[in-house]
Amino acid sequence: MIIQGTTHRGDVEDRADVVVVGTGAGGGTLAAYLADRGWDVVMLEKGGFFRAEDFTQREEDALAAFNGRRGLDASDDNAVFLTYAEAVGGCTVHYWGDSFRTPPDRLERWRTERGLEWMTPSELNPHWEVIEQELGIHICEERLFNENNRLVRQGCEALGFEGAPVPTARVDCIGCGWTQFGCAYNRKSSQLITTIPRVSRAGGRIYSDARVERILVENGRAVGVEGSLLDRDTDRPHSRIRVRAPFVVLAGGALGTAELLLRNGIGGDVVGRRFYVNPHYFVFADFGREIDNITGIPCAYEVHGFRQVRRTRSGEYAGGGYTMLCSHQSPGLTAAILPEAGAAHAERMRRYRHLGSLMSVIDEENPGRVYLDGGVRKVKYNVRGVDQLKAVDYLRNAARIFLAAGAREVWIPDVYGTVVRDPREVEARITLRSVQPNAQICAGSHFLGTAPLGADPADSFAGPTGEAYAVKGLYVADGAAVPTSVSKDPSLTIMGVARWIASGLHERAGRAGA
Amino acid sequence: MDAAHPPGPGAGRASPALDRRGFLRATAGGATAAALASLLPAGCTGDYPQASSDGVALQALTPKEYAVLRAAAEALLAGLPVAPARVAARIDAELAAVGDPMRADMKTVLRLLEHLTLLGGRLRRFTALDGAARLAYLGTWARSRFSLRRAAYQAVRGVIYLYAYTEDSTRPLTGFPGSWPERRVPIPAYPVDFGEVR
Repeated sequence: MIIQGTTHRGDVEDRADVVVVGTGAGGGTLAAYLADRGWDVVMLEKGGFFRAEDFTQREEDALAAFNGRRGLDASDDNAVFLTYAEAVGGCTVHYWGDSFRTPPDRLERWRTERGLEWMTPSELNPHWEVIEQELGIHICEERLFNENNRLVRQGCEALGFEGAPVPTARVDCIGCGWTQFGCAYNRKSSQLITTIPRVSRAGGRIYSDARVERILVENGRAVGVEGSLLDRDTDRPHSRIRVRAPFVVLAGGALGTAELLLRNGIGGDVVGRRFYVNPHYFVFADFGREIDNITGIPCAYEVHGFRQVRRTRSGEYAGGGYTMLCSHQSPGLTAAILPEAGAAHAERMRRYRHLGSLMSVIDEENPGRVYLDGGVRKVKYNVRGVDQLKAVDYLRNAARIFLAAGAREVWIPDVYGTVVRDPREVEARITLRSVQPNAQICAGSHFLGTAPLGADPADSFAGPTGEAYAVKGLYVADGAAVPTSVSKDPSLTIMGVARWIASGLHERAGRAGA
Repeated sequence: MDAAHPPGPGAGRASPALDRRGFLRATAGGATAAALASLLPAGCTGDYPQASSDGVALQALTPKEYAVLRAAAEALLAGLPVAPARVAARIDAELAAVGDPMRADMKTVLRLLEHLTLLGGRLRRFTALDGAARLAYLGTWARSRFSLRRAAYQAVRGVIYLYAYTEDSTRPLTGFPGSWPERRVPIPAYPVDFGEVR
């Protein structure tokens, strides 16, 4: 049953075998696993419940309705925009459906550096296989390649850069172009239309517009949560909700989970200390003809040949440390990102239908931090050190790809209005000044690492099983639990980790409350 | 810089990364300038009637802050088929809905934008400049060596352009034909059984 908190009247008291805070990639996956096995599940979601007919494909509607802080959230100094969804289905409502298994080298790093012995392909592959089947994940078919994706592939092939079609979570996608504003056709396999209905039909209760404020702890053990039901239009609380359960799972995303833990003083200073976002820098290319990048899916093709960092013999950075995703933006977001002002900006917007675009996924080594300041959740994040060098390397290679594909001009959307027309100009024109904080709009959307798993309690929020060191019965099963950047879109990583944690919980506890 | 990952030559040198406290420190001179600017004849009226004349019932911004935002929109959107007042009013409503810290930050930025003209050698407040001078002044913020001035520029221009180009009236300029529902492309949504929904 889905209970919309915005219209529910009166306080709520509920009991369950497990209460899951958050309904996205981690929460949805874990909750469905347990509900399928007879657990009585309650899920709480701060955002609203929206169905296909609510997704109007107008960006201003989507930003206001289900983007965190109405799409205006940013790091302290405005240098990194934080894009995330708050809705039943979590960030999968606006994600692009890119579904990569965690690279084996990253699993190996977590296994050896974090003591997470289960972080191996052989342990996680069975979970990923099930998830991929449930979500219809498949290698993106050729018909979903729009012209931008085809051109990027063409540029990569001309240059010998490695890339491939992405595994995508869609069923019969029609390529309307508005996947990031909620799928109006129920073709993108978000948690909203996959795991959430399963939980609901299995007898679980999913409360939307329900903001969790307190984790209830008795004798060192989590026993439930409580919070407020919100009016969706004003975000103001109108009723209280309390759910008691022997297991509490945090899955509100790396931002939401960190904020809740910080407000409750649980987990010590490890909470929020590392916050990964995979900085996204954008590059535009004017092809001098209509390519209508807003049609199709944003990313059918990924450039992955630069994922690994290359270093010189003396250990200095020599390139790489990122992937590139084909991307597209709606008119409003394009206008916000494109450089220049006044008539010069308008001239660029006149070429909107001519524009191709790439986006970086920087595998950052210097994360940010989530903290509370006077009761307000804030984020400190600067792209710095070697991560700036990665960003410059990305901008240069993105420019080369577009020029090799026949672009007339490549635009680095920085405050200097950097334009490159010739591959021989790339090194000279694209420099570190383009990636100074606030030299261009940089975004982050792959939130990870704020309550990490690990074998060392001094440096981890939770142990390898996902259970918190500080509070028994309290689990974390979302991006917060993932120790570092994944170096790829992390959605399938989060789902795999959540499902692994769910399977362990089920194995150990059985149907706990029954 | 992260000691474990030293930057390459020149990385990060160009921009002292300031947080909000740094911003306040960096703009201590700005506060002085603002105080001085308020003494200038062009700034003495304290009269910002734009919201009233636009018929906007402000929800987040003061009349002064609205006037600065509207003036920035007039400069940035000159020649576009969208009313700066409409964009400014929309931003005011968004700021009211989203609340702090975004609202407080934007209010601070707008007040500084109005008064820091003095630092650029201009003797008139931002709202008293003509369109070309406003753009030139914004350009000095865009290319400032101080990260937070660039941040302020990106914040103001970003929201103005975002909400200007979500307006249907700008579509003739971009050629954007509208999304599928607007064009009544008859694609049904696949059914989903959510169980009981209350």
